[in-house]
Amino acid sequence: MLKLQNISFGFGELVILDRVDLDVPKGSIVGLVGPNGAGKSTLFAVLSGFVAAAAGTVVFNGEDISQLGVVARARRGLLRTFQVPREFGTLSVRENFAVALHGQKGEKLRHLFLPGRALAQQAEDIDRRISAAIERCGLSHLADSPASKLSGGQKKLLELGRATMLSPRLLLLDEPFNGVNPAMISRLSDAIVELNRAGTTLLIIEHNLAALAKLTNTLHVMDRGSIIASGEPAAVFENPKVREAYLGSRGVHHA
Amino acid sequence: MQLVINLLINGAVEGLMTALIALALVAIYLVARFPQAATGDYVTAGAYSAYIVYTKVAASMVIAGLAAASAIAILSLTYFFLVFGRFRGRTYVSPLLASVGVAFLTRNVLTFFVGHDPIVFPTPLLPPIRLDPILLQPIDLVVVAAALIVLGILSILLRSTDIGREIRAVSDDPDLAKISGIRSRQVLIIVWLIVGLICGVCGFLLAIRSVVEPDLGWNLLLNGFAGAILGGLTSFPGAVVGSLLIGLAQELSIPLVGGSYKLAVPFLVILVVLLVKPAGLFGRVAKVR
Amino acid sequence: MSAYLAAVLTQVGIYALMTTALNLQYGFTGLINFGLVAFYCIGAYAVAILGTLGYGPLFAVSVALLVAAAAAWPLGLLTLRLRGDFLAIVTLGLSEVIRLVAINERSLTKGAGGIAGIPQPLAAWSPWGLLATLLFANVVAVLIFRRLVRSPFGRVIRAIRDDEDALRTLGKSPLGFRTRILVIGCMLMSLAGAFQASNIGFVSPDQFSPEVTFLVWIALILGGSGSLWGALVGALALFGFLEGSRYIRDLIPGIAESDLASLRLAAVGLGFIVLTLFRPQGIVGLKN
Repeated sequence: MLKLQNISFGFGELVILDRVDLDVPKGSIVGLVGPNGAGKSTLFAVLSGFVAAAAGTVVFNGEDISQLGVVARARRGLLRTFQVPREFGTLSVRENFAVALHGQKGEKLRHLFLPGRALAQQAEDIDRRISAAIERCGLSHLADSPASKLSGGQKKLLELGRATMLSPRLLLLDEPFNGVNPAMISRLSDAIVELNRAGTTLLIIEHNLAALAKLTNTLHVMDRGSIIASGEPAAVFENPKVREAYLGSRGVHHA
Repeated sequence: MQLVINLLINGAVEGLMTALIALALVAIYLVARFPQAATGDYVTAGAYSAYIVYTKVAASMVIAGLAAASAIAILSLTYFFLVFGRFRGRTYVSPLLASVGVAFLTRNVLTFFVGHDPIVFPTPLLPPIRLDPILLQPIDLVVVAAALIVLGILSILLRSTDIGREIRAVSDDPDLAKISGIRSRQVLIIVWLIVGLICGVCGFLLAIRSVVEPDLGWNLLLNGFAGAILGGLTSFPGAVVGSLLIGLAQELSIPLVGGSYKLAVPFLVILVVLLVKPAGLFGRVAKVR
Repeated sequence: MSAYLAAVLTQVGIYALMTTALNLQYGFTGLINFGLVAFYCIGAYAVAILGTLGYGPLFAVSVALLVAAAAAWPLGLLTLRLRGDFLAIVTLGLSEVIRLVAINERSLTKGAGGIAGIPQPLAAWSPWGLLATLLFANVVAVLIFRRLVRSPFGRVIRAIRDDEDALRTLGKSPLGFRTRILVIGCMLMSLAGAFQASNIGFVSPDQFSPEVTFLVWIALILGGSGSLWGALVGALALFGFLEGSRYIRDLIPGIAESDLASLRLAAVGLGFIVLTLFRPQGIVGLKN
């Protein structure tokens, strides 16, 4: 599904990504771990199109998307969430979901100002779809509250639920469990599994290795801009390079 | 050929005057992060001040120039203390809008007292200097000399003095500067003072070279923005270089588009720079899509 | 209703149309348009040129709206990715270039002297014709504003204001939405120009200086940027004051017309400074 080759990026003399090669097979869940500052979030920025890599290619679903922007990539089914959730604060939860749907006639001027019933008919469909998605997240009781009023964990649910509603081909999850209480973690985890079963490939950055281990058997460890080890969790953490990378950093959690 | 040389000279002189206003714009943009829309009217006020001093106090160019600089320095500081200095912590829109109000107030107080009619500065009439094939106007020499002096002083100030270092630090990163003990507010005061001085001198130079009228400084404002943006909006030398280029480009465009459309040149430059390379020639910008 | 009051209300109505348009562009969408007088100018000259050539008012106004849209669309696509302060400078420059065109293209615009003798068909129908139509236009403008704000389109705009990058990661491009808002607003400004040309019967380049742009901005901020009625309240307050105080001369002898003009505008400038410092949310006062 996703294939990175030779991705490099930096500022002047500072190297942030150093010839990263990564393969995410279709339908899989893959974990990306490593100490803080390893370059994981920057890799996500390159993958989602926020930042242009200095070198290397990103191939998504067989297509080279290296030159495409954020919007183009999202339209091809490559979605992401953020480490600190980026909900639309002044919009209600319901509106947060609604604004994500594509093909809305109400977003086209001619349907707003020319007479016709297409708008009203579609509005019902949209409402149903959104309510279902909000229900699945367990946020129905907050549907009309401004999204800024949600707790951190609820915002993560919102981001995940909204992305799920769009049935992406690939979803990049940036620390989905960060700052979330244990009960919420298992809910998020279930949602991720369900999403994967429905056909979405997932690449997840996480520090919470125990939670991550329940989702996947494939981990890539990054340190200082490159991938230093890949494979099953047990094997990877035996690797002396990995141990060295984590020594002195708070990166390892065991729930 | 003679035409081209004279156009170049004219362009260089106008470019130097533009450079002064561009520097004022860059200075405020660096420390306060907004485009100061009243900068043109500061310049206009400087022009009128110079005229009033020259005709009512002492018919000396030097005195008129210094008086203009001082008057607008005071004006600038007054506006800082009463208006611009109170916008800490708000987005750039607030001081931008306030500067529109300042422009209205300044211009209309001026016209209330001195009227709308154009006024000719009674500079002594001196014959042009012939250096075939070039024709030099003595007034232009005065302008160039004065502008270069101002640029020189500024340059020394920024590079070699503590205050210059502090200005550069505050413009790079105000929070970091505060932590390292640099007194931001003092730096701001000095910058607004310098801006006033520059605008006063610029107004004086405009006055002696052309007609004094209410739109005098405003007409140069767009050129100033163009020069500053071309130079990178965060660079003083850039503003000077950019302004010179704008001045030259404007004059050289006259044979092509006619004298009246030369004023479209700065607008085109702004558009092209912002679309193609927003950091301009010397500015710093992180590469994010 | 005296003729004087009707004249003041007509001016207020024309500026109110522009203030509502700016409310849509800045108050709702956050676009810093410092060049709005350019579209006012386009509308006025379109009606002036076509009207004096004998074309009917409906045709002239349609052309005014189309030309404005045709100018605003590429402007939007080109410039609406720029940061707000840069957009302000670019739009300001554009309005000055438009004024240059008006001064220099004499074959089209009759240059600095302007075009006189513009027909006033609505006045022929009824003395209150223009004012009534203008009021109707203002109501329509507010209804358009309302419809947009409350629609899914408006929802996207609000999302863009909250976090435009997050919206891009959902696959929607802010540029297209912002451009549409720009076009609608600019068409309304052009309509205001069309009314003005018909109202005064005469257009000239110096009627279209940046001063007009800034007065509309002041009216919007004064009334309350972003609120449905803010634009109208602000326009009424500011332009009611400006137009109404023209006639103070009759009360204060000995003051020259141009001096009074300077005094009024200086007062506006001072008032605006105070407003931005102490009550930026304006009269209607929406807190963001």
